[in-house]
Amino acid sequence: MSETSYSVLGVFDTPDALMQAIPKVRASKLGTVEAYTPYAIHGIEEALGLRRSPLGGMVLVMGILGAITAFGFQYWISAIDYPIITGGKSAGSWEAFIPIMFEVTVLFATFTAGLGMLFLLNKLPFFGHPVLSSKSIKGITRDRYVVALEAESEAFDSAAAAQVLRAAGAIEVEVLPAPDRSPFLTSDYILRTLGGIFTACVVAGLAMYFATKWFPVLAPMKYIQDQPRLDAQKASSFFKDGHGMQQPVAGTVARGYLPTATGTQEEAASLVNPLPRTPEVFALGKKVFTNRCEVCHGALANGVGSLTAAYGAKPANLQAQQFLDYPDGKIYWAIVNGKNAMPSHAPYLSERERWAVVDYVRALQRAQNAKDEDLKVATR
Amino acid sequence: MSQTKNTANLLWGAVALGALGVLGTYAAAGPERFWANWILWFVLLITLGLGSLFIVALEHLVSAKWSVPIRRIPERLATVLIPAVPIGLIALAALPVLYPGSRPEAARHPLLAGKAFWLSLPFFSVRTVISFVLCILGLWLLVGGSLKQDTTKDPAFNFRARKFAPAFMAIFALVITLIAFDWLSGLTPEWYSDIFGVYVFAGAFLSGLAATALAILHLQDQGRLEGVRGDHLYNLGGFLFAFTVFWSYIGFAQYMLMWYANLPDEVIWYKVRLQGSWHLITLVLAGLHFVLPFFALVTRDSKKDPRRLRRVAYLMLGAHVLDIYWLIFPILGTPRLSWPELSFALFFLGGILLWVRGAMQKGEDMPIGDPFLREGLEFRL
Repeated sequence: MSETSYSVLGVFDTPDALMQAIPKVRASKLGTVEAYTPYAIHGIEEALGLRRSPLGGMVLVMGILGAITAFGFQYWISAIDYPIITGGKSAGSWEAFIPIMFEVTVLFATFTAGLGMLFLLNKLPFFGHPVLSSKSIKGITRDRYVVALEAESEAFDSAAAAQVLRAAGAIEVEVLPAPDRSPFLTSDYILRTLGGIFTACVVAGLAMYFATKWFPVLAPMKYIQDQPRLDAQKASSFFKDGHGMQQPVAGTVARGYLPTATGTQEEAASLVNPLPRTPEVFALGKKVFTNRCEVCHGALANGVGSLTAAYGAKPANLQAQQFLDYPDGKIYWAIVNGKNAMPSHAPYLSERERWAVVDYVRALQRAQNAKDEDLKVATR
Repeated sequence: MSQTKNTANLLWGAVALGALGVLGTYAAAGPERFWANWILWFVLLITLGLGSLFIVALEHLVSAKWSVPIRRIPERLATVLIPAVPIGLIALAALPVLYPGSRPEAARHPLLAGKAFWLSLPFFSVRTVISFVLCILGLWLLVGGSLKQDTTKDPAFNFRARKFAPAFMAIFALVITLIAFDWLSGLTPEWYSDIFGVYVFAGAFLSGLAATALAILHLQDQGRLEGVRGDHLYNLGGFLFAFTVFWSYIGFAQYMLMWYANLPDEVIWYKVRLQGSWHLITLVLAGLHFVLPFFALVTRDSKKDPRRLRRVAYLMLGAHVLDIYWLIFPILGTPRLSWPELSFALFFLGGILLWVRGAMQKGEDMPIGDPFLREGLEFRL
């Protein structure tokens, strides 16, 4: 027994015989006990005294991480970095994220299970396990069940190990020599690997070439091409008027915008001022009025502005009874569309600014027609 | 012995007390509330029975051996289909009250005119009777035959059952879809969902599995069903685990497609369930029917741990009740949970438990005539 041996294999012909032998072999305490079987045998972990694999926990953690990653990724894209409204759903709708979250959870979990098992727990890459070059390996992959006593130190006694295995009922015993530890990444090995990859590429390429040449009948799916869509220089076959783009429904308000004044001034009378009457709104209205309105309508909105004399125009006196009776919507309409000599101010003022001016004009009108109780409110 | 007598007396008391409340409901709370509760318990009963019968048929279909020792339990549970028949026939009286499709106005309703014949009272009743006949046929062939095998020990039953099982699967699919479409989806006939039958099937199978697991654990408390081990429980737990995921997958798929398309006649069904207190109930349902059982059963050991399995089985049955409640009760407006619901629960739960207690004495605890019983008892994971 001068030759160092790696392990001794005892071959059994039924899983039950294997399971009964394991405790006896373990009791000998000659070395590490390992089992090689063609398929998983339930209960063998307990028999071998293996501790519970950490793989399940790893898979759970990575699965949850996958779900969180997918959610965060989609939320960041569609609600923070580049919010686009699709299908009328608000940005960051969790419902739409669930399928991707599900897929990424499965992806993370399966990759953790597969790669974690192979690389973290089974310590791949590990070429040429000694058992693979044993005589028993054919049986192990078919219908034999093997218990191995593996050397833990130089003092491993393979004769005693063989004795123990025979006593435990092994029908055959094989002593494996210590594995050849020479490096496997030789130039010959690398060349052969590269040659193999190259050959595989050539064969696959040729197969693809002839497959598409000889079997062109198999058209790929082209539902996207066949759908009723708009082609350049062609009428749409989908809409009756032949246009690809349709006018929005009357009264449509774009998301994030306020209703605006279209149609006649009488139609605009029903518009309601959406802004609350707060100091900020009045401050904004005052600023806009000073910049854009005061020069003609005057600081008191009474139609006496500084430009009036120079041009001979007659800007509206907003303190007149006619304008006191105007609903907000009609003033708003005049700002948006212009009236008489006054041009449209829509290009210069946002909707918020227009409505703020309306509020400010109301304040000016009230100031010129103040009542006693207004004074009480103002001085309180 | 005196203790079992006491339990029986207690259950009879619950049934009697519940019956008073049930009658009181009709008189005091009105027919709508009464029939909604009645249909809730009818559907719970028939899903429990069909789910249990499905477990039995599944075993015959795939020639499973592991489940032979526990097969008698779902067989006995499936007998609740027998009381489900009269309860279902009485429930037909609810049609003019709760089901808009069977009222004469349906013929003039623009969305219902096309399916008025299908929804009408005569054809609805015909379908229900056919469903019951098919259920009882399945029960007679699969359960009756198995009980007879205890004495005859004739293996021919296994061949007959295996031959009938594929046909029963088709029958089962038809009946559970009819139950789902007619009795549940029919409450809001403008709304329809193709996957709804599968959703109800998932709940029915879960309730069958949970009841089976519970019955096994209770019988083992009494020292019966010796030989049923963790390996058998593990498979039941695995099924429970898998089908909580299946249930939520189907439920969410249905929700997401309707949410995305946002068609008024589809989305209204969810709109009702996502407003006010129903929104909270929807979230609780998702938690009790999916999140909690999922994490309770995710590890390997928990699937065969009797204490854990018992809790999850109770939870699953409760979640199934909540699920069916969630499908039916929004038609009454805000969530109702008061003395009518409680007395219906007393009446029907007491009745079901009495029936199941009686059924648990039928035949042997295991199908001793089945030639595969030994193999099933030796089953190791």
